Amino acid sequence: MACSKENIVLIHKYLDNEMTLLEIKQFQQHINKCSDCEKHLQELRKTEAITQSASHVKAPSNFTENVMGKLPKQPASQKWKH
Amino acid sequence: MDIVVKKIILEVKKGNQEAFSELMDIYKDKVYHIVYRMLGNVHEAQDVSQEAFLRAFMNIDSYDTNRKFSTWLFRIATNLAIDRLRKKKPNFHLEDQVAGTEDLTYYSQFSSDEELPEDQVVQWEMQEWVQEEIMQLPPKYRSAIILKYLEDLSLKEIGEILNLPVATVKTRIHRGREALRKRLRHS
Repeated sequence: MACSKENIVLIHKYLDNEMTLLEIKQFQQHINKCSDCEKHLQELRKTEAITQSASHVKAPSNFTENVMGKLPKQPASQKWKH
Repeated sequence: MDIVVKKIILEVKKGNQEAFSELMDIYKDKVYHIVYRMLGNVHEAQDVSQEAFLRAFMNIDSYDTNRKFSTWLFRIATNLAIDRLRKKKPNFHLEDQVAGTEDLTYYSQFSSDEELPEDQVVQWEMQEWVQEEIMQLPPKYRSAIILKYLEDLSLKEIGEILNLPVATVKTRIHRGREALRKRLRHS
């Protein structure tokens, strides 16, 4: 657990790249001496990495055909011309 | 916006269905992926993402071409997914025991058509596990986390898709991230 609620807010701000250079410097100084906040930050970084590791699933192969088959019928004159 | 996409959309707006199939080929995987991660079920994901494209086609006249098409489309898709989650009660999870059985879970109800090599099994289990963790999040945090971490969208775009101020998107991402941290830190 981080040392204070205020510092949890700062950790999230840091992760979202929303700090000024001065704020980053102050934050890093705090992290260097506070093992609770350092651990909290590491756990959040690990959480981000695990979440991002979820692979991209693809739509089933017949997906477009299925939807096209459900569209209302169109007049023959409106065919797509390249 | 991408000139090719814009040209295709103008054709769709004229009523051209074949142009719509080109549009679907560009976006179907992204829409399906978002919906699948929201619902955690392939059949429902297929059903809801098809419905999203049907609605997009029927409502294409209301789409403003000066705005990003994917934002508009993802908004339709996430709204439909959230509606589906609301209707899907009572909720059950795959690891829940099937009523009246000793050790049969919903996982064991799935049969696989072929034997998978071991590394693929490990990969599959890892993916299933990440999805299960995402499914444990309340839907309002889940949608924000999916759009940020799986679709890599900006907070502004996420706000436009979910119809929320950026400050609210941030809060949801922070809370979702904290909820996931508590579950994943010992893994």
